[in-house]
Amino acid sequence: MNKKLIIFLISLNIFAFANAGSIKVVTTLTDLKSITELIGGNKVSVSSIATGYQNPHFVDPKPSYIIGLSNADLFVTIGLDLEIGWSPQLLASSRNTKIQKGAPGYVDASAGIGLLQVPSSANRAEGDIHIYGNPHYWLDPLNGKVIARNIANGLERIDPSNKSTYEANLQAFYKKIDDKMREWQAKMAPFKGTKIIAYHNEWVYFETRFGLNIVDFMEPKPGIPPSPSQLVKVIKEIKADNIKVIISSPYFTTSSSDVVAKQTGVKELTLATSVGGFESVKNYFDLFDYDINQLTATLK
Amino acid sequence: MKWKNVLYNSFFIITILISYTASAQVPVDSTAADSALLKQIEQQMQATPQPAAQPSQQGRSGLSFNPDIGVIGDFQGSYISKGNKNFNAYLNETEVSLQATVDPYIRADFFLSFARDPETGKYGAEVEEGYLTSLSLPAKLQLKVGKFREAVGRINPTHPHALPFIDLPNAYVNYFGDEGLNDEGVSLSWLVPNKKFYQELVFQATSGQSESPTFFRGDNNRFIYLGHLKNFFTLSDNSTLELGLTGITGPNDSSRTTSIAAADLTYKWKPVQMNTYRSVTWQSEFYYGHANLLDNFSINSFGLYSFLQYQLAKRWFLTGRYDYAQKPYDKTIVEQAYSLTAGWYATEFSKIELEGKTTDINTESRFYQAWLRWIFVIGAHGAHQY
Repeated sequence: MNKKLIIFLISLNIFAFANAGSIKVVTTLTDLKSITELIGGNKVSVSSIATGYQNPHFVDPKPSYIIGLSNADLFVTIGLDLEIGWSPQLLASSRNTKIQKGAPGYVDASAGIGLLQVPSSANRAEGDIHIYGNPHYWLDPLNGKVIARNIANGLERIDPSNKSTYEANLQAFYKKIDDKMREWQAKMAPFKGTKIIAYHNEWVYFETRFGLNIVDFMEPKPGIPPSPSQLVKVIKEIKADNIKVIISSPYFTTSSSDVVAKQTGVKELTLATSVGGFESVKNYFDLFDYDINQLTATLK
Repeated sequence: MKWKNVLYNSFFIITILISYTASAQVPVDSTAADSALLKQIEQQMQATPQPAAQPSQQGRSGLSFNPDIGVIGDFQGSYISKGNKNFNAYLNETEVSLQATVDPYIRADFFLSFARDPETGKYGAEVEEGYLTSLSLPAKLQLKVGKFREAVGRINPTHPHALPFIDLPNAYVNYFGDEGLNDEGVSLSWLVPNKKFYQELVFQATSGQSESPTFFRGDNNRFIYLGHLKNFFTLSDNSTLELGLTGITGPNDSSRTTSIAAADLTYKWKPVQMNTYRSVTWQSEFYYGHANLLDNFSINSFGLYSFLQYQLAKRWFLTGRYDYAQKPYDKTIVEQAYSLTAGWYATEFSKIELEGKTTDINTESRFYQAWLRWIFVIGAHGAHQY
């Protein structure tokens, strides 16, 4: 009799859960949120801790983020120590066993990514280097496919009943990336090998995919603010190589690029590094649309 | 006959081994979807001509179960206007941190401190903190067991090298000492299921063995009990407010009870977009002590500090602080102090700070102090603070 009651109660619980409708997902970055929404469709409700216009390495670990994490079914992270200063402690404080590292609800989106700039030694004399490789891999649209696969795997682990939906959405995502890739490649083709300067070393995946050539950075070393000697070096390079543009991100000041622009006439361009970086960048496809349109318009 | 048997047997074993290895090489999860992923990755790798997909360095040799290790150096120079020994320079503290997950149920954090005893001038080692934290308690509970800095407001849980000033507020030192309230026992915290704002309730019971100006463990079974409620409000994307309430009670050196009520209030403005360049923090803590020392005799005392920190630029911080403190053993002795600290944060791993302080105590003449400290960190990347 008791056994029957327990079984009844358990099945009631499962039923209630299945009917709850949406899987609660918390992502560290907005790009992961966008891809999760595209894969999860109406089965998920997603929130991102970081906004699209803030430095992903320096997100403040506000306790208020813990509320969302404590109720989440799935957590998606860029990994590779990009979020090391803030996400591990938020995760630990969430008291949510479903989304801890190693649990089914933990998705490291970097699994299977072909990493660039993996250092051969770990030495902080080189600045803020990442020992597993450059973590800004979502800026290559083809890596978006790997991220999407990882997110789909996570959703299917915790919600196997909707596997077919996730797989269908994943295939649609792949197709759209492939279609857009042709368009983006075509737009960028005339600028293959174009030399540019970047503020911070966060464009290597974008650069490699679209054939740009970042010759130097405003930061003398990753994470070290531009120094006068570095500005002199950059000014010389711009003049020698007739470089047309310095690309930067919404969360860096333009004061040092302004100086260089004044000296050389180089154009300054703030690109979106994440979804939400600018108001018109509403999803992962918009991100590349925006950046490529801005770049091609400036380099023309 | 015998050698033939051996040959057959070895052949059999080798065959099994080969077939086993072969089967092990087949991907465990070889669904159509996964091979599609593999194909994409392969395509992608081919499409990148440069030494793009370098083999990951985290090969077998890179992995280990060693804990994350960090060492923090705290070198200081100091000046005081009273007495004969006015200038000093010393390696104030060397802190070694060892942190790792123990098993699926708990993680461990150790902070070992090597510091100079100001009295004897000799170096000694001590466990500053050493505790386990539960990872899988139900009902939003988290348990901490060991020696830990207790949950009194904002300063006490923070290691001194991470504070935006070099000396500790007078009121805080009067009640908790230079080492803070840092005792051995258990701590249970509960994340209040409040979806409107963050609320955490902490209860701690400790043995009272650690040195403290307020509490003293006598030859009996009376412990120190602490309760703390943390409320955290998001006012806007760029500003937050934290209000904490703390109550502590425990035995004093008269074998009676001392109780402390404390409140902390922190306002932070940090623009999300440019949070590495500009910020303002206004933080205050208030302490009210009630020490029962004799029959029908008790002392009530009060103290506070309040500081305003302004970030001028990416690397520059300026912090002004006001201290007011009545001595807990004689409330007629009142200390008031003003201090100003300038900090230059070179990277996340080193900072230099300079502090000047003027102190007035109503029983002696005004005196001045100054400190210079250089904090430097090697090893594991620590957690950022908020």
